[in-house]
Amino acid sequence: MKYGETRFGASFFPKGAPFFPSGEKTLYFLILASVFIFILWPIAAVLFKSIFIQGQVDFSEYITLFRNKKYLLGNSVLVSSLATFLSVVLGTCVALYLTHCRGKGKKLIFGVLLLSIISPPFVSSLVYIMLFGRRGLITCKILGLHLNPYGWHGIVLMQTAGFTAIAALLILGILHRVDRNLEFSAHDLGASTLTILRSVTLPLALPGILVAGVVVFIRSLSDFGTPIIIGGKFTVLATQAYLNVVGLYNMPRAAAMCMLLLLPALVAFVIYRRILGRFDYVGTGAQLETGRKRIRLSRGIEIFLALVTWGYITFEILKYGTIFAGAFTRTWGFDFTPTLAHLKTLSGTKLESFFRSLRYAFMAGAIGAVLGVIIAYLLERKKIAGGKALDFISDLPYIIPGPFFGIGYILAFHHPPLMITGTAFIVVVNCIYRQLPISIKSGTAVLKQCDPNFEAAARDLGAGEKNVIKDIVTPLMRPAVLIAFINTFTMTMITIGAIIFLVSPETKVATVDMFGEIKRGRIGAASVLANLIIVTVLAVNLLFSWLYVRKGKKDRD
Amino acid sequence: MFLELRMVSKVYGAFAAVQNFDLKVNKGELICLLGPSGCGKSTTIGMIGGFIPPTQGRIILDSRDITELPANMRPTSTVFQNYALFPHMSVIKNVVYGLKFAGISRKKARRKGKKYLDMVGLAELCDHKVTRLSGGEQQRVALIRSLVLEPKVLLLDEPLSNLDAKLRVGLRREIKQIQSRTGITMLYVTHDQEEALGLADRVVVMNEGRIEQTGPPEEIYKNPCNEFVTSFLGRANFFKNKNGVHEIFRPEELRLSTNEKGECRGKVIQRQFSGNIVTYFVRSESGELLEADMLSPHDPNYDIGDSVEIVFEKKTSPPNP
Repeated sequence: MKYGETRFGASFFPKGAPFFPSGEKTLYFLILASVFIFILWPIAAVLFKSIFIQGQVDFSEYITLFRNKKYLLGNSVLVSSLATFLSVVLGTCVALYLTHCRGKGKKLIFGVLLLSIISPPFVSSLVYIMLFGRRGLITCKILGLHLNPYGWHGIVLMQTAGFTAIAALLILGILHRVDRNLEFSAHDLGASTLTILRSVTLPLALPGILVAGVVVFIRSLSDFGTPIIIGGKFTVLATQAYLNVVGLYNMPRAAAMCMLLLLPALVAFVIYRRILGRFDYVGTGAQLETGRKRIRLSRGIEIFLALVTWGYITFEILKYGTIFAGAFTRTWGFDFTPTLAHLKTLSGTKLESFFRSLRYAFMAGAIGAVLGVIIAYLLERKKIAGGKALDFISDLPYIIPGPFFGIGYILAFHHPPLMITGTAFIVVVNCIYRQLPISIKSGTAVLKQCDPNFEAAARDLGAGEKNVIKDIVTPLMRPAVLIAFINTFTMTMITIGAIIFLVSPETKVATVDMFGEIKRGRIGAASVLANLIIVTVLAVNLLFSWLYVRKGKKDRD
Repeated sequence: MFLELRMVSKVYGAFAAVQNFDLKVNKGELICLLGPSGCGKSTTIGMIGGFIPPTQGRIILDSRDITELPANMRPTSTVFQNYALFPHMSVIKNVVYGLKFAGISRKKARRKGKKYLDMVGLAELCDHKVTRLSGGEQQRVALIRSLVLEPKVLLLDEPLSNLDAKLRVGLRREIKQIQSRTGITMLYVTHDQEEALGLADRVVVMNEGRIEQTGPPEEIYKNPCNEFVTSFLGRANFFKNKNGVHEIFRPEELRLSTNEKGECRGKVIQRQFSGNIVTYFVRSESGELLEADMLSPHDPNYDIGDSVEIVFEKKTSPPNP
């Protein structure tokens, strides 16, 4: 009786419309083709490069890696596991504090979390050098220590600082959905608040916690910058892959390293798909809970959560304060005189890079959002052949480590038929497809809330396919497009992982410039760029969120 | 014959949602499709409306075969269970949406829409957002949105199931009124037997994708053709008489008494007061549990444990095998 049950009280079509004009088919074919070309082909290219050496199947790169460089994979997994564990624990505490504790400043906490996920990477590393480096403000100037700060512990700490925010927001999203009445009834049945958290709240939030873990683990695995900046002699797979491309020009080795990197990521991905099959996180967006109160936690737990949360938030605020100060300090570590001199470094090519970033981000955001929402519509509302494959492939970039995706693009598009390396096109396309999973998710999230009968009703009233799309689907999907746009825009502005391999001198972007400045040790100039990026991204985010909220309000009036 | 469904079936894989559905509808008739959830009634009007292509059979409307016609070309219109009002449009925009495709000018459409809205007393709400209306108002807007197109057949898919009981009764009357005023042919899907009996000119009782019985409300209530129809249309006592033959009595056909001789004797087990009627649950001497309804003003006020005579007032025909 499966059909009867789904049919009752639902819609005429849980999935699929009856008529499928050929224009749509063409569009669908183009989209499918583009997903194959820009997602699957680069992945395949990496695989081929790693096993075909001079036209022969050759596993020597893998043999070398496993014989002599086994420690690299070990290092990667060790650092990522530690950073993931710490981020998820911290994130859970922060999220619990936001949902289950009373206290002031929750808006501030939420704001800092949002600021943290829209900041470029390496901000943490930069601050680490400024505060705890050889001439760091805290270790050297205040405490008078002369430590060697470089090593794996610094990487773990700074990745944790960087990834806790995203973990907290993902976990917050699911904690909101834990039915508070379940907690009340557990309380009523005699459970203490600690038992409730352990036996009701956290188990119900587990899918969200796992997703947060997967996301952080993959991001940490892909992060090559932090180890370069503060790892010292300690190195990881992602870093070596990067160096093999930009320094040693050893593509087969870089490709093999990428494949190795994919291994743990794939394991995480399988878990992620399993969980996401049942839940939706991305796209709905975390919000600060208002309204009825949840159970009161015991004093001890409340104090603990408050300490952890505020400890983290204080560090984050210190981080942004330091970055800000760094932009206006003559020579950090030696000469702390305030100056505006660093602003002058923002001339010529740097400013060009920055505006190029903006341009790319707007383009990628706009195109990516529309593409994602169309794919979401096809997947959600049309019975299409190969829908499952399309869904799976377009979800892959979510877990492909950044360097992998970048190197894959070099390998795939370096020669005919599609020779586009060095162009602006390849950078924008890379950003679009990298964020496609999120764009699609934001589309599906909105569609799931929209009754398929809206479309059926329009057809019933005489609307043809064109009018259904124009009058009904497009206006209803507007919020999804907005969310997808903000996400892709932001990520394009702050990403470096993949596009650092793709930019040429003519297509340099701001994050790449910033990374260069940090590597050269020019803290002032790097801070100026960091501030510029943060402020811009923040402004665009606020503007579009405001548009979104205003639209929502207008709809409710 | 105005609307005719000829041996229409819809099969999903191994599951037959609707099987050999055969029905002739006269112009201006109000037909209720009645059945439990999953019986195929929504699938049936989905096929008439053009949303679900039938696996087999033909649908003829006004001497034209519409089986292959897409929904937007059919002279039918559907009122959806959850109304499916476009949330981003105002009341009037929703109402005139379909007129745009009928080639009616915007000004004319608006005038016509207003006139129709006036019919249900919603003309003042013209420019309101549909999302701000109450459930009952939304329901009426959805009804008007379909009616304004003057469809040959109006299809209603459980249109009142999301409303509370009181509102339902009022809207039921309103729908009936509109139907008799406009003379429009309606197919009305419901799982509420009271609604079906009260509204329909003819009721089609469905179960597991098949038609069980078709007929005017009184006829199918009084002469149900089998046990399913009997119990779906209301409560019933299945009673084995002295000769060992099974008989069916509605609760209102049983009377409890102490001073007259009935068919058998029994003991009062429970008394339920529900306003206009009082229901007694009685265990007969032969061990059957029987329900008897008394109108409240005539309630003899028996106590639990009282011994009573059970009088069968009038017999419902036994099911035809």
